Amino acid sequence: MITFAFSFFFPFLLVMVAGQSIVGLFRKNVGGWRTTLGLGFLSALIVVIPLGGLPLARWLISINANFSISLTALVFGKAWENAAGIRLLDRKAFLSSSIFGLAAGLALYPMALGLGRLDPYEFGWSFSWLFVLLMVITVILLFTKNRFGIVLIACILGYDLQLLESPNLWDYLVDPFFALISGVILGCWLIRGARSMRSHGRSECRTPS
Amino acid sequence: MDRRTVIVLSLATFLLHAWPMWRWLSTLDQEPVTFAVYSPSAPADNDPPHMAGEFISHDPGLGMVHVGSICEMADGSLVACWYGGTREGARDAVIYLATRASGEAMSWSKPRVIVDRESASRELHRFVKKVGNSVIFADSEDRLWLIYVTITVGGWSGSSLNAKISHDGGTTWTASQRLTLSPFLNVSELVRNNPLPLRGGGFLIPIYHECLGKFPETLWIRTGQGDQRITFRKTRMAGGRSFIQPSVVACGPRVAKAFYRSCSDDRLIGMAATGDTGATWPEPQNLELPNPDSALNALLLSKGRILLAFNDSKQARANLRLAISYDSGANWRRIAEIENTPGQEFSYPYMIRSLDGRIHLVYTWRRKRIKHVVFNENWVNAQTEKASK
Repeated sequence: MITFAFSFFFPFLLVMVAGQSIVGLFRKNVGGWRTTLGLGFLSALIVVIPLGGLPLARWLISINANFSISLTALVFGKAWENAAGIRLLDRKAFLSSSIFGLAAGLALYPMALGLGRLDPYEFGWSFSWLFVLLMVITVILLFTKNRFGIVLIACILGYDLQLLESPNLWDYLVDPFFALISGVILGCWLIRGARSMRSHGRSECRTPS
Repeated sequence: MDRRTVIVLSLATFLLHAWPMWRWLSTLDQEPVTFAVYSPSAPADNDPPHMAGEFISHDPGLGMVHVGSICEMADGSLVACWYGGTREGARDAVIYLATRASGEAMSWSKPRVIVDRESASRELHRFVKKVGNSVIFADSEDRLWLIYVTITVGGWSGSSLNAKISHDGGTTWTASQRLTLSPFLNVSELVRNNPLPLRGGGFLIPIYHECLGKFPETLWIRTGQGDQRITFRKTRMAGGRSFIQPSVVACGPRVAKAFYRSCSDDRLIGMAATGDTGATWPEPQNLELPNPDSALNALLLSKGRILLAFNDSKQARANLRLAISYDSGANWRRIAEIENTPGQEFSYPYMIRSLDGRIHLVYTWRRKRIKHVVFNENWVNAQTEKASK
């Protein structure tokens, strides 16, 4: 029951953020408790609207039933930022999440789809080195005051509560959309970094000695 | 985050990891998993060789039927299921079930639909485009299990597996439960061949993956506490684009042989052996038996012999033959031809051994009907003798 109810949460957040973006086209401030409450109510209504015999949220779940807790946390962070003007995930945490998403995706998907004999997905069914690695990464992030550590705590909490349909830890950490988005974000960040380094180099060259 | 928050959150991290660790530690003192059935008894000498065939699906007007499976209930009755529709992968495909009470004079019941895409969609609370392969089997508590394929997007490579259970011989069923077996949108997991019961409950079910990579896998499944939630996990048998549709035969408490449908240009049946109840499998080796990229099925006979039903060709599914091995699958002797009509298809064999020692073979007959052939081990012995002359 808790799994079924939770399956509406990610679609709800997506609709909420989309709604905030639409409101943002007309108003500078998309926050405030009235707007947030109104959008929240509207988003909840939209995701439960039956379409073709299924609530709208379940159409999204038909494509992917296991949106990771990491991605859910990122979207929640965005919705919270829009509503309250507070960034739950700062720049450092956001960058860490992108590195984590891409690394986890690269470690998991090629081999899970048949590259080689090893299937890393096997290590997520019950306690294994994956759990130990997750715990170590989480504690390191916490001690370096990186808020992405809190997202990883949410992942293991979600796993313990079996919030997703999947009983495999991997599905709580990463999903194909999170891995793809992480890759795009890191790619953009690298390109931007390279450009800024180039322009910085040029300006240094132009500086008269 | 201040220092106190970091310490509290770190403590929470340890505690949250302690729960899965505790569950894992509590399984360590359990006996190693073993197969429940691995040594069928020899047939009685006074049981004369016997072989007979009949059709299970009675509706030849139907577009196509395919992928039959069969099992026996505790009272000796038989249950078979398969899917049919206007064509393979059509949206109107449904899963049929037919039963046959025990006794020589009994015949198969009129097939009835147990799963269609609407019922699957309703039970799984998601869009289902079509249904496909299914496997039916009974457990030690006489419950019927159905593992079946649904597709949301695309073709067979978009398949996901689902499970449902019947407590009354297939009359009523629990709602379907989706089995998440792949991290990539949970697609491309299919089922075809016989499950192997495990001592202490649960089954090892050979399954396979066919999106980008094509490889065989094993699904470990059992009911959880309170008979409600089905628990499962999956391990891999081979990687790459090698073999699919494993058929696994238990030869000892922890020993089993797997026979594979070939996906390579070699077009030869593959084989591998496990010594740890299917936890690990070595790289498959090719047998000398051909395979036209079609399903095959193996069954353990008495005295450790293995019977194989397969399409004896590298090109077509026009014949269906039986072969027997006396040395755990290393060498094979062709013993009988069940079907052979050029231009036709006889495929997807599935065999079980019933409690009375008879062997039941179901297969796709010209894609129009599901045929049930029953024979005993003395018929196999007679065919073996005839073939060696």
